[in-house]
Amino acid sequence: MADNTYDAIVVGSGISGGWAAKELTEKGLKVLMLERGRNIEHVKDYVNANKAAWEFPHRGLRPTQQMLKDYPVLQRDYPLNEIVLDYWAKDKDCPYTETKPFAWFRGYHVGGRSLTWGRQSYRFNKWDFEANAKDGFGVDWPIRYNDIAPWYSYAEKFAGVQGSREGVEALPDGEFLPAMEMNIVEKDVAARLKQHYKGSRHMFIGRSANITEPKPEQKRTNCQYRNRCWRGCPYGAYFSTQSATLPAAMATGNLTLRPFSIVTKVLYDKDTKKATGVEVLDAETNKTYEYKSKIVFLNASAFNSTWVLMNSATDVWSEGLGSSSGELGHNVMDHHFRCGAGGTMEGYEDKYFYGYRPTGIYVPRFRNIYDDKRDYVRGFGYQGAGSRSGWGNEVAELSIGGDFKDALSEPGKWSMGITGFGEMLPYHENKISLDKNTKDKWGLPVLNMDVEIKENEKKMRKDMMEDAKEMLEAAGVKNVYTFDSGYQVGMGIHEMGTARMGRDPKTSVLNGHNQVWDAKNVFVTDGACMTSASCVNPSLTYMALTARAADFAVSELKKGNL
Amino acid sequence: MDRRELLKLVTLATGGVLIGGQMFLSGCKNDPKLGGVDFSAEDISFLDEVGETILPKTKTPGAKDAQVGEFMKVMVNDCYDAEDQKTFHEGIKALNEACEKMHKTGFMEASPEQRQSLLISLDKEAKEYQKKKNDFDGEQKKKEKEEKEKGNKDFKKERMQSHYFTMFKQLTITGFFTSKIGATEALRYMPVPGKYDGAFPYKKGDKAWAATG
Repeated sequence: MADNTYDAIVVGSGISGGWAAKELTEKGLKVLMLERGRNIEHVKDYVNANKAAWEFPHRGLRPTQQMLKDYPVLQRDYPLNEIVLDYWAKDKDCPYTETKPFAWFRGYHVGGRSLTWGRQSYRFNKWDFEANAKDGFGVDWPIRYNDIAPWYSYAEKFAGVQGSREGVEALPDGEFLPAMEMNIVEKDVAARLKQHYKGSRHMFIGRSANITEPKPEQKRTNCQYRNRCWRGCPYGAYFSTQSATLPAAMATGNLTLRPFSIVTKVLYDKDTKKATGVEVLDAETNKTYEYKSKIVFLNASAFNSTWVLMNSATDVWSEGLGSSSGELGHNVMDHHFRCGAGGTMEGYEDKYFYGYRPTGIYVPRFRNIYDDKRDYVRGFGYQGAGSRSGWGNEVAELSIGGDFKDALSEPGKWSMGITGFGEMLPYHENKISLDKNTKDKWGLPVLNMDVEIKENEKKMRKDMMEDAKEMLEAAGVKNVYTFDSGYQVGMGIHEMGTARMGRDPKTSVLNGHNQVWDAKNVFVTDGACMTSASCVNPSLTYMALTARAADFAVSELKKGNL
Repeated sequence: MDRRELLKLVTLATGGVLIGGQMFLSGCKNDPKLGGVDFSAEDISFLDEVGETILPKTKTPGAKDAQVGEFMKVMVNDCYDAEDQKTFHEGIKALNEACEKMHKTGFMEASPEQRQSLLISLDKEAKEYQKKKNDFDGEQKKKEKEEKEKGNKDFKKERMQSHYFTMFKQLTITGFFTSKIGATEALRYMPVPGKYDGAFPYKKGDKAWAATG
């Protein structure tokens, strides 16, 4: 387009950026989508999708010493793996500093972490949107469940979420594709839990954005039960930017996608109090460009959207656009997890499984709702699975030889395990800020992380373990053990907060339509906007909020209000 | 058997987590070092034979068919740190010496029965050693936690080397079951199942599924 001018600019191409691009282009806007990393083309660029273990030099088992050197952050948890190495940002190129330890796992390429996400798709419940107002942590959400419910439906229908309707208030039902099946052990555990807790605790199939009915209009076919999702799916069976939102946006003819485009700031006009566009640093040529637009959607991932704001309009506000509230960069949240329980299930020797299911089971929150009252606020849910081990029972006793090999070659006992995912409160003092003394590969200042979990989360973790043990034992699981593998903030890969929505410009960065209070044509609809975290995986909420904000933005634009 | 399960299996069968490329939540004294000691062709054949004694050919192929020696070389050179590499290479010599001591012959010249009795004894030795190592590591972890609470950020854990036989055994198991021949003949390999059945009939003797994810 002439003069680098568009109707709208979308910064970032992950889950929320893809949705912003789709919604805005479908409503007729000419949109420029900027992505800081390289392009990854659907199917064609999923180079490892069909490889067998023996086609990887280290069989995907362990990172190399070179990988450990290059990825000091990613090595802190499972994501550092040769199979998906190209789907993670290079720690070396984009460092950050840690006042307190923070694990930041990033995907800098078209599609972002929509390629590698866990696909778990849950609605927040009505209590989640009231929690801050009720217990006083954080500020009140400017919206309620009913405001977002139709947008959840809208997002689910397009993305394709499989799941079962359960009528559980703590985890509202949605527009589901036929549910994947629980295996025989999970079904029995679920039935026993229901009986033992008299219908007050539930376990059912994990709702996930994997399609179980084809979507020919999106050229997507059913899940093939390979459970290789994070390599990129050649069938387009799970929701990603590439499989779903990007082709829809492209089909309108209204989208321009520019990879290798690091947005360094939102261009802000003091007189109109609006953004006029963005400044881009070309990641390959290091040249700077300006792009103009009527509206800007920031979807660069929670911390990077905030980073862009911090670098914008600094002549007006020294701490950046949206900082007038004093909350920009504050109230960082994640989900704390990595603790729970597991055990073995006797019997079922004549049953095995066929296929690799790309989701597990889910137990919705049951703490601090209805009459339940704990010594902490909020709650947690469980994710887990029943499975049959891939080796025989006597492996630990056997030494070497033919019998040993045979024992290793046959399945053994069934087991059942669950891991808690807990809500983290929005604490003002948990913050990110610009560290101007450290620069990335492009000479840009980096972020400093100063975030920790506190007493509320620590108390909750005890319940996450003990309740798991009690429930598994009640369900007939034997040899139950509890675990806490240690949690570092960020490991949930659910960064939230830093530019929260609210009702008051004095205490929040965004209003109820995700507009920056200080620049009404700038919208932030990724994890940065979150006012509280709930305990459920957040991506579906980003999708719904993005579609809702895009709808609002276009109607405001038409009314001449932006 | 997915990758995570395979890692669990290795832990179960050897008492220790798979060595190499360890991901630490906090630092360890040993910085990652690059480059490896050379493996000779003799080393590779030697490791193939050790692997074959651990997982021999029966009705299904054995470790040698899966070229585990070559796999060990790649894993040790790329994923082991310098100290583990040293332990591994010295282990080749140590195993041979143990064979001389037990059977008055080198491992390559030893009969299948001699090899077997040697490795059974080394396996016992390695498992006992690993128990001590687990205790030691546990103590260090505790100490690290205490030091951190005291505010000593510079504390680095001390380390007890792994037993070489643990290394051989771990790499034999992982190398075999992730190889083409191991995954498709000793296990059942199913890259595109197309459906899910959570109550699939099973009878004793049916093989486990091979790793996919």
